[in-house]
Amino acid sequence: MGIKKDLSIDFLGVRCENPFFLSSSPVGSNYEMVAKAFESGWGGVYYKTIGIFVADECSPRFDHVKKEGMPWLGFKNMEQISDKPTEVNFDNMYKLKKAYPEKIMVASIMGSNEQEWRQLAKMCDEVGVDLIEGNFSCPQMTSHAMGSDVGTNPDLVRAYSKAVAETTKIPFIAKMTPNITDMCIPAIAAMEGGAKGISAINTVKSITNIDLENMTAMPVVNGKSSISGYSGAAVKPIALRFIAQMLQHEKLRNVPMSGIGGIETWRDSLEFLLLGCRNLQVTTSVMQYGYRIVEDMSNGLMHWMDERGYDKLDDFVGKALDNIIPAEDLNRDFKILPDFDNEKCVGCGRCYVSCFDAGHQAIDWNADKRRPELNEKCVGCHLCLNVCPVADCIMPGEVKWKDGRQQTDIILKKNYE
Amino acid sequence: MSKVIKSTFISEAVEGFTPRTAMEEASRCLLCHDAPCSKGCPAGTDPGKFIRSIRFRNVKGAAETIRENNILGGSCARVCPYDRLCEEACSRCGIDRPIEIGKLQRFAIEQEEALNMTVLKAPEVKKEAKVACVGSGPASLACAAKLAMEGYEVTIYEAEEKAGGVLTYGIAPARLPQHVVDHDIETVKNLGVKFVFNTRVGKDITLEKLQEDYAAIFVGAGLWLEKLPEIPGVELPGVMAAADFLKKARKSEGTYNPGRRVIVIGGGNVAMDSAVSAKLLGAEKVDIYYRRTIEEAPADMAEFQYVLSLGISITTNFAPAEVLGTDKVEAMKFKGRDGESEAKVAVDTVIFAIGQGAEDMGSIAPFALNEKGLIVVDYSCKTSVDGIFAGGDVTLGGKTVVEAVASGKIAAVGMMNYLAQKEVN
Repeated sequence: MGIKKDLSIDFLGVRCENPFFLSSSPVGSNYEMVAKAFESGWGGVYYKTIGIFVADECSPRFDHVKKEGMPWLGFKNMEQISDKPTEVNFDNMYKLKKAYPEKIMVASIMGSNEQEWRQLAKMCDEVGVDLIEGNFSCPQMTSHAMGSDVGTNPDLVRAYSKAVAETTKIPFIAKMTPNITDMCIPAIAAMEGGAKGISAINTVKSITNIDLENMTAMPVVNGKSSISGYSGAAVKPIALRFIAQMLQHEKLRNVPMSGIGGIETWRDSLEFLLLGCRNLQVTTSVMQYGYRIVEDMSNGLMHWMDERGYDKLDDFVGKALDNIIPAEDLNRDFKILPDFDNEKCVGCGRCYVSCFDAGHQAIDWNADKRRPELNEKCVGCHLCLNVCPVADCIMPGEVKWKDGRQQTDIILKKNYE
Repeated sequence: MSKVIKSTFISEAVEGFTPRTAMEEASRCLLCHDAPCSKGCPAGTDPGKFIRSIRFRNVKGAAETIRENNILGGSCARVCPYDRLCEEACSRCGIDRPIEIGKLQRFAIEQEEALNMTVLKAPEVKKEAKVACVGSGPASLACAAKLAMEGYEVTIYEAEEKAGGVLTYGIAPARLPQHVVDHDIETVKNLGVKFVFNTRVGKDITLEKLQEDYAAIFVGAGLWLEKLPEIPGVELPGVMAAADFLKKARKSEGTYNPGRRVIVIGGGNVAMDSAVSAKLLGAEKVDIYYRRTIEEAPADMAEFQYVLSLGISITTNFAPAEVLGTDKVEAMKFKGRDGESEAKVAVDTVIFAIGQGAEDMGSIAPFALNEKGLIVVDYSCKTSVDGIFAGGDVTLGGKTVVEAVASGKIAAVGMMNYLAQKEVN
């Protein structure tokens, strides 16, 4: 028997069997897809955004960023909201909820004015979805009355959130765009309007690659291209930052948060949970690998919980949040010198090259032995540790206190993957 | 049942990289400071630099680096003993396994060809001095290319009908396909080097005649004297020397019939090539016999492994004692190294790959020769005869292609210094 742990969690008063949801995107566009996703183990789905507006799509519509041999570090998508008739989508959601009552159905909606937002909210109410997400953030809409152009305008976010909250009792989640300096402003506006939760982040406006054949961006649509949303592993750091900033804001401190951005593994999922997310949304990695990735997300998370002795997600949700502090509050009284393991060292000299060209010339190169030798110029930046290709070869070593500074017990990282 | 590789004489033993798999492999490279692999190449091909070019999406730059340093970059990519040169030096060995440097080199040269690149160009203005090379093997080609790039007009005299020497006539095409050799030779021809075929120096044309027409001469005649052991029955039909067998096989383009049961005697790469060729030409049963152990054998481990993967057997510690038969070979008799064991094996063809010697170099010019008949040269590849330089196997003995390239390059420098001193420009 494999490991079994309780991954259920309450999100906006809705009991979810696990926090793993498909985000509103191509991966949850119709009945068959969502049914298969539910059978694969996803706890719920944010059904692909429905509007009164029906999208007219271009072809092709995707591109990806690779580095060395690694594809899909980042992914670009030009698809807008659903291209199916509004009624068909609501009918699908109704049937799915009937067929899979224990799974959570979230309707993602997008109107172009207050009246449309009310109309859509009413339809959600009639169908009986569990939650509603307001898409204030799609960056590739062909109308400026919708998408991220709305999400960067706090007054519109507040007004549309209010329109939904006044129409239905179903909890409303406002989905944020990262194409903004301070996400707290629209998030607070959404809460003021009556939203009960926040989800972040939607995709980042991007040009992934310039095509040398046609002198335009990718993907090439009849010799032209457009700016559109970037997602996948490359945006995870941006997502985590926005989420941490919101959850640390005094007005958003306990807002139920759904984390989105580059989640592929249990480890990524856990990082969002540790910042305080109670729900997780995934698209890009499903586009690359399929619904089955949820198996290793949940199993891997259970094994980690087992190792740490946790029985439920609430035991550790938000555990890392308070350890992220302003730069001015960090202890700057010491430096940690790197420790070189000459047995493990393979003599590639990458630490030497990077320290000289980008650090502080603190490593001398012993050409005969092909080994690095640390000199007194080291500032403890650990660039060498970051470039070393050998596991556990360069590790944190001696702690040196700056002159005249108070020595205290300090906490060190000991394990690098 | 073991899964034995079934192949044909002219199909390649190893698949090359695609742009994607090449990038994956290049990404494994640690991009070392002062790269040990680059120090490990006798010809100075500089893998550290060309792998970095592949990694940073500059495959044309990679091809340039290879070609500029090693005119036979394509052939060397196939036949170099990497496991004891650049790949042995690879720092990645300390983590898991070395970068597949030879395969990356092959990829860059294949791209050079696919992209129609012309990396090397000879100067328009030619020098006054003309130079001749004797033989068109690796050493001569490397020497000729280097001189041509410096503006010398070079003519290569070749006894056979095709250029390449050992590359064209002495290696199994599974390991070194002819099109790879031809592409390398094309780059030499593009430098303006002229080739005169079917002309054996010392027989069809005298060295004195060459000395009249050329200010300096390079001799890269190779080792083509076939060696057979002095044992009874060696004169019987069905007994061949490896060089003769490989040449016949290559010239036939895969139609040569090696016989049903073949024994190859020897433990070097030529023995491996002969056994592979015999098997791929259709011999039912091919067995290698070697008088010492595998550990003592000069062949590369990769070649032993390939031989085994084709279902060829290797018997060690047995030396040939007698060839048995009346009108032709019928059996081979071996004596064990232990002095007690004996074996008698029925066979149709026996191929001796027990080393090759230099032909009578004294018939070309009054060179100082060593006891093996190899031409004696100094550090600059200069022979005892004024104006004549030599390199490759005819001075080194049976070494690798890459070492022959290195000696051809050294000789070219020696010849330029010689011509400068004589003030022939």
